[in-house]
Amino acid sequence: MADSLTDYRRYLDPRTLAKISSLELRARLIVEGVMTGSHRSPYQGISVEFAQHRPYTPGDDIRHVDWKVLARADKVYLKQYQEETNLQLILVVDASESMGFGSIDVGGMPWTKYDHAISLAASLAYMAVHQADSVGLAIFDQQLSRYFKPSNSPTQWKLITSELQQVPRWNKTGIGKVLDQIAEKVTHRSVVVLLSDCFDDLDAIKKGLRHLRYKKHEVILMQIFDEQEVNFPFEDVTLFKGLEELGQLLTEPRALRDGYLEQLNEFTDQLKKLCRGMNIDYQRFVTNEPLDVSLSQFLANRSASMR
Amino acid sequence: MTEITPDQLLLLHSTFDIRHSAFPLAFSFITPAFAIIGLLAVSIPIIIHLLNRRRYKEQQWAAMQFLLAAMRKNRRRLKFEQWILLATRCALVALLGLALARPLGCADSAIGRLAGRSAAMHVIVIDNSYSMAYQADRPDAPTHLDQARKLARQLVDGLSSGGDSVVLITASQPATAVIAKPSYDLVGVLASIDRVSQRMVGTDLAGALAIAEQLAREEAGQPNRTLHLFSDATTSAWRNGQEKALETLGQQLAEQYAIRHYNLSLPSQSNAAVLDVSPGSNLVRTRFANDFRAVVRSYGASVESGVLWKLGDETLPGGSAITIDQQTPPITQSNAQLRAGGSAVVSAQIVADDRLKVDNARYHAIEVASEMKLLIVEGRRGMSQMDGSGAFLELALAPPTLDTQPGRTTTSYLKPERISDIELAGKVLGEYRAILLADVAQLAAPVADQLAAYVKQGGTVVWFQGDQVQREAYNGILVPRGLLPGPLTQRQSGAGYAFNFSPTGNNHPLLNAFKGVDRSGLETAQVFTYWQIAPKEDLRVENVLTFQSTSASAADPAMTLHRLGEGKVVFFASSADAEWTSFPAKPAYVTLMHEIVAGTVAGSERFMNLTVGQRIEIPTTRELGGVPTLHNADTNADEPLVQVTRSDGSAVYQSPPMEKPGVFRLNAGKVSWPVAVNVPADEADVRPLSDEAIRTALGNVEVATLGAELPGEAESEEEGRDFGWALMAIVLALLGFECFMAMRFGHYRKGAAATK
Repeated sequence: MADSLTDYRRYLDPRTLAKISSLELRARLIVEGVMTGSHRSPYQGISVEFAQHRPYTPGDDIRHVDWKVLARADKVYLKQYQEETNLQLILVVDASESMGFGSIDVGGMPWTKYDHAISLAASLAYMAVHQADSVGLAIFDQQLSRYFKPSNSPTQWKLITSELQQVPRWNKTGIGKVLDQIAEKVTHRSVVVLLSDCFDDLDAIKKGLRHLRYKKHEVILMQIFDEQEVNFPFEDVTLFKGLEELGQLLTEPRALRDGYLEQLNEFTDQLKKLCRGMNIDYQRFVTNEPLDVSLSQFLANRSASMR
Repeated sequence: MTEITPDQLLLLHSTFDIRHSAFPLAFSFITPAFAIIGLLAVSIPIIIHLLNRRRYKEQQWAAMQFLLAAMRKNRRRLKFEQWILLATRCALVALLGLALARPLGCADSAIGRLAGRSAAMHVIVIDNSYSMAYQADRPDAPTHLDQARKLARQLVDGLSSGGDSVVLITASQPATAVIAKPSYDLVGVLASIDRVSQRMVGTDLAGALAIAEQLAREEAGQPNRTLHLFSDATTSAWRNGQEKALETLGQQLAEQYAIRHYNLSLPSQSNAAVLDVSPGSNLVRTRFANDFRAVVRSYGASVESGVLWKLGDETLPGGSAITIDQQTPPITQSNAQLRAGGSAVVSAQIVADDRLKVDNARYHAIEVASEMKLLIVEGRRGMSQMDGSGAFLELALAPPTLDTQPGRTTTSYLKPERISDIELAGKVLGEYRAILLADVAQLAAPVADQLAAYVKQGGTVVWFQGDQVQREAYNGILVPRGLLPGPLTQRQSGAGYAFNFSPTGNNHPLLNAFKGVDRSGLETAQVFTYWQIAPKEDLRVENVLTFQSTSASAADPAMTLHRLGEGKVVFFASSADAEWTSFPAKPAYVTLMHEIVAGTVAGSERFMNLTVGQRIEIPTTRELGGVPTLHNADTNADEPLVQVTRSDGSAVYQSPPMEKPGVFRLNAGKVSWPVAVNVPADEADVRPLSDEAIRTALGNVEVATLGAELPGEAESEEEGRDFGWALMAIVLALLGFECFMAMRFGHYRKGAAATK
C-alpha cells in the first residue's frame, strides 16, 4: 500500500505533471492523489455545512468530536457534516507576465507559476464539479481578460480547463482593480479563490479583497512562488531583468540575498496579516513542491479551521 | 619631466634607509624585487573586481520589486562592504609582497624591537694559518684556532634562524670561501666551522677581506652586514707586505660592513723559529768542505737554546746553547764533509720548547755533487784538440793535472763534454748543469725551444761569440725565446778594446774573486772584435762587465747575466778562444769561467724543497725510472704523482699540495729523492699588534675591537630587525579578516536558505 502510494505521488511532482499535456488528466491525478492520501471526502474541505451531532462510538475519528459539547455537557458527541450543494466557486487566475516566470526546466520548457496556478485551479474545479457545485472562472492580468459565470453543468469543467490552457498575453498585473470588477460581477455569495503571486501593490490588493469580503464572498488566497523566488540561489554577478516593466539591476546576488529575502518575507507577512484581518484563508504554494501535498495541507487546514 | 632610470629605481627601493635621520624607524629590504612585485600586484584585485563587473549572467526576474527595494535599502552598505573587501584584498597582496621582501628596521627603533627578528648577513673570517696553532691553554680551547672556532660557534648559536645568514671564509694561504653565499642553514654553518682545520701555511688576510668585499657588492640587497674577523693579530699576519692592500680593503669594507675584530692573541706571546737552513754556496760538493747556514729568531722574549744540526739521521757536531732573539746572526755549521754524492737532508732544530712548535725545526734537501757535467757546444770544429771554438773553455773548466793519477786527468769537480752544434739536438740536456755555446752559427727553432725549456727549469746557458755567429738567426730565433739579453746590433772591430774593470771598484758579485787582486788580467785583456747588443728592458739584464767607453762606442756590455724562468743566461760579447780576444790567454780566464759556473749553476734540488701548500713538481730534465710515487708516512703507502700538462705544453708529474711540514720520500723506480717541506718563514713573528695598530692597518676605519670573548647581550642586540615575519602575521590576520568579511557580507557561496 505504502509503495503504491509513493509511486502515485511520483506522478504528482510538478516535473511529471508538466509532461501531461491534458489539464483535465492533470487535475484528476491531483485530486485522486489528495483522495488517496486522506481517505476522506476531498470535497468536504472545500464546501461543507454542519448537519447534526451523534454519540461517539469506539473507532470514530476523534477529530470530529465536538469539544464544546463535551465541555458543556460532559458527553462525547461527534459533529456530522452535509455536503453543501448550491455553493458557487469562482476561480480567479492571475495571468500577468510575472506568473510566466518559471525556473524548473522540464524538457526545455519551464514549469511556470502560471502552470502551477492552472493545475491548482483545474483541480479545485474538478472537485467542485464532482460535488455538484457551480464553478466559475476569471482570468486576468491588468484587467479582467476572460470571465465565465459559475455553472454546475457537466460541460463547465471542460470549458474551464480549455480556457485555462489558453496562452495568456503576459501583461502587467492589476489585482486590486480586477477584484473590484469581480466583486461587482458576482452577485451570489460565492467562494472566490485567487491564484496569484500577488506581485502588486499591497494596498490595491487589500482594497480588492476588502471589496470581495464586503460582498460577503468567502475568499481564499493561494499565493504562488517559484522556487528561485524563495531561495534566491544566485552566486555570480547577474543582470536581473524585471518582468512587467520593472527595469533591470546588475548586482552581486550573494551580497543582496539577505536583503531581498527580507523584503519578500516582509511582503508575505503583511499579506498574511491582511488575510487574517479579513478572515481570508491564505496558502502559499511553491512550484517545486508536489501539488497534492500542498492542496491536501490547504484542505486539511481549512477543514480544521471550520470546526 | 625628470626620468628615473631602472637602476635608480632599484637603488631607491633597495636602499631606502633613513637610519641616520631623526625618524625613529628606518626600512630597507633584503629582496626589494618582491616589494615592487607586491605593489604592482595591488592592481590584480582591482582588475579582477572590474572584470567581474563586466562578466555577468542575465536573468529574467519576476520578483523585481523586492530586489529593487533591497538594493535601495542596502546600497550604501553594499558599497561599503565592496570597498572594504577590495581594500583588504589589495592590502593583503601588497603586504604579502612586502613581507617576502623582508623589510628591515634599524637597530635603535623601539618599533623594530617590538616587531622583528634580527636579520643580517654575518661574514665570519677565521685565520687558520699556522700561527693560530699557538698553545694558549684556554679551557676547552688549547690553541687560538680552537678558541676562534668556539667563539664562531657561540656567535652562530646566537643568530636568528631563518633571519640571519652566514658566510664563512678562512684566511690561511690561499684565502678560501668555505661558505661562499649567505647560508640560512645555521646547523650546516656550525658543522662547517667545526671543519675549519689547522693549516701549516701563512696568512692571507688580504685575500680573505677581498672575498668579503666582493661578497658585499654581490649582496648589496642585504643592508645589515657584519664582518667578524677572528685572528691572532700577529705582526706576521698584518705586516707581511700586504699593508697597502689591507688599508684599501679596510676602507672599502668599512662602507659595507660593521667590522668586528676578535683579537685572540695573548699579550706576552712569543715564538722561537728556524727561518732558514741552506748551504753556504750554490753547490754542495764531496771534494770540498761545505758550510750550512741557519737563520734562527725569537720573536717576543729571547730564548736560551742550542741548535741541533742533522744530516739525514746523523747528528752533526756543535749545538751549544746560544741566546736567540730577533737579532741573532746566522748560525753556521762549518766544514761538513760529505762522503758521497746524491741527495740528503740537512736540518736545524731549536732544542728549547715553546708554544708554537711547528716552526722549531727546518729541513733542507740537498744534492751533493761529486762531479758536475757541463756541455760545451762548438760551432767551429778543427782537426786538432785545440782547434775547436770551445777548446779553451774545456781547458779552463777542467785543467789537466800535471801529476796525473791513473784514471784521472784533472782534479776539477767539473766534467765538461765537448760536442759540435750538430750533435746538440740529440742530447738530453737535463744531464748537464750548464751548457756553454761557443761560436755556434745558429740553432734550429726546436733546438732553441729545448734549450729555453732547459733554462726555465733551472739550467744555465753561456754564450760566446765568433765569426760563425749569424746575427739574423740569433735575433730571429734566440731573442724571442729570451735566450739572449737582446738583439745583436753591430759587430765592433778595432785595435783593442779593454774591459772596464777596477779591482777596487763596485763590481758585479760574479767578479768577487777579482776584488782587490791586482794584475789579474781582466784589466789588461784586449778584445779586438765583439758583438754589440741592445739589452731588452723587460729581461732585467745585469751588466757583469762592460767595455771601456771610447770615442767610437760608449760602454758596451762585455758580459751580461739575466734570468729566464728558474735558470740563468750569460752572454759574453767576444769569443771563447783567442780569435777575437787575448783574454783566454790570461790566468783570469780560468778563474772567471769557474766563477761563472759556480755563480750561475744553481743546485737542482729546488723541487725537493717546498713550503707547505706547494706541490712537488719533478723537472722534465730529471731521468725517471718509473711512475714517481710519494711515500705517505701516515698511511705507510706510496701515492702516485699525477702527470699534468703545463701551459707551455710540457708534461710534468705533480703531487697534491703538501699539507704538513716534514721530510718525505719521492720514489721513481731506481731513483729516489728526499722532499723537505717547511712552514713558511714569514708566519713566525707572533708578536701581537695593538687594537689601534689593527685599526691603522685597516685604514683608520671604525673597527669594534673585541677580545677572545663574545660581546654581551646588549651589544648583540644591535642588529637589523626583520619585519618580514611580523608582516606575514599581519597578512595572515588580514586573510582571516577577509574570509570573515566575505562570509559576513555574503560574498562567499553558502547553502540556500528558504524564506519563511
